[in-house]
Amino acid sequence: MGAVARDLTGVRAAGIYVCSMAEGVCEVANFSGKKIILAAILLVAVFMLMRATAFGRVGVTPLEGALRDALSPVQQVTTRVGQGMRNFFTAPFSLVEAARQEKRLSREIKDLQGQLRQAGEYRLESQRLQKLLDFKENTAGSAGFQTTAAAVVGRDPGNWFSTITLNKGTADGLKADMTVLAPEGLVGRIIAVSPHTAQVLLLTDPRSAVSSLLQDTRAPGLVEGTGGATGGLRMKNIPTDTPVHAGQVVVSSGTGSLFPKGVPIGQVTGSNRDPTGLFYDATVRPFVDFNRLEEVLVVTSVQQPANTGQKISGNWSQFGR
Amino acid sequence: MRGLVLLGLLALALLLQGTVLGMLRIGGVMPDLVLMLVVFVAFLSGKTEGAFWGFVAGLIKDAAAGSYFGLNALSLMTAGYLVGLAERRLYKDSIPVAMFVTWLAAVVSQLAHYLLLLYWGMDIPPGTAMRVIFGVAFYTAVLVPLFYRRFYRSQLHGWLRNRQY
Repeated sequence: MGAVARDLTGVRAAGIYVCSMAEGVCEVANFSGKKIILAAILLVAVFMLMRATAFGRVGVTPLEGALRDALSPVQQVTTRVGQGMRNFFTAPFSLVEAARQEKRLSREIKDLQGQLRQAGEYRLESQRLQKLLDFKENTAGSAGFQTTAAAVVGRDPGNWFSTITLNKGTADGLKADMTVLAPEGLVGRIIAVSPHTAQVLLLTDPRSAVSSLLQDTRAPGLVEGTGGATGGLRMKNIPTDTPVHAGQVVVSSGTGSLFPKGVPIGQVTGSNRDPTGLFYDATVRPFVDFNRLEEVLVVTSVQQPANTGQKISGNWSQFGR
Repeated sequence: MRGLVLLGLLALALLLQGTVLGMLRIGGVMPDLVLMLVVFVAFLSGKTEGAFWGFVAGLIKDAAAGSYFGLNALSLMTAGYLVGLAERRLYKDSIPVAMFVTWLAAVVSQLAHYLLLLYWGMDIPPGTAMRVIFGVAFYTAVLVPLFYRRFYRSQLHGWLRNRQY
């Protein structure tokens, strides 16, 4: 085999030393001057070609162009065939991968949908709690009510009575007969309490009765529940010397009652004389949606403000009506 | 075993009524799953069992409500007994028959409940009462197809099978 010369500088007039590694001998190569010049020209030409076609060149020579154009369809077909073969052989693996990805993406979509729903729930809860907090700090606070927030955790299992169970009890300072409020108005009162729960009798329960007033005429009456399931109220014993009409607001009177004065209850929707003819009876639509109560405030104590009834009702107007 | 399973089902029905079903009220009315359970037992096992389980279920419901103990016990016992009377007279394998029996039992039971409330001095307008009575009856009867077959199969071959027969 021809080997690299150990000493390329050993050039004589007639030739160059060439050493054979395998045979371990050196002999003089018979290079003529013409050949050396030819090699030098070739070397220079190659260097020039390399320089001319170096990276960054924009144009192509006409020969290059023609060659490329001629080869292009062949390349295209070859590439397509190659791609087809690759797809054919890798299809089963791709399908497995696609199925795996589909499963993973479906799971991710479900997770994200769940997170979205959860976020929506948090947003609604936040809005409710914000409303409750505003109510507690502004309306209830200015009315002198010290309140504790509680969540509704249960309801009466029947259709006739109307009670709810709260998640707080005597351990949180709650007692029987405390008033329960919502931002919209009066909810009811606590009737039974354990260390960690309290049962609230809602206004709509037929066992509930609240001494009340028509807000504008100050005509007194008694608001009773007409059956838990339907969520209706009725105001009885309204004197006939004052007019009763739809739209009038009913508030608690506070007189001889467990409930503080001036808390909104509902709005009159209709009236008629009672069977004796001595009083009016009015049907009242409560401000509070008792079927959708989730959080409430329990009034733990009342500090009488300077200007009671009117002030409470006035502040409440932004919530209840 | 059957008794324990029935007590468990009663507890579950009460739990649902006190929580989830309260959110699914239509016109303020929710279905009475406890009544449905009593009707199933009475319809498939007869008046004695119907009255007994009606009383037990009612008493548990009264305890959950926390007042007027005996109100639900009496109304559900009445319903259970009356449905039990029809045990041998009606075709048990038919869902429409079970729905009709449930509807009728609900009307009777809710009417008995209303009369007892009137007796205790509660002034509930007749219009409201009718809405509750027929609303509960309809809503409960509509849900019967969801549960009846399962209950019936369990009564014949499953955990609710009556060992004495």
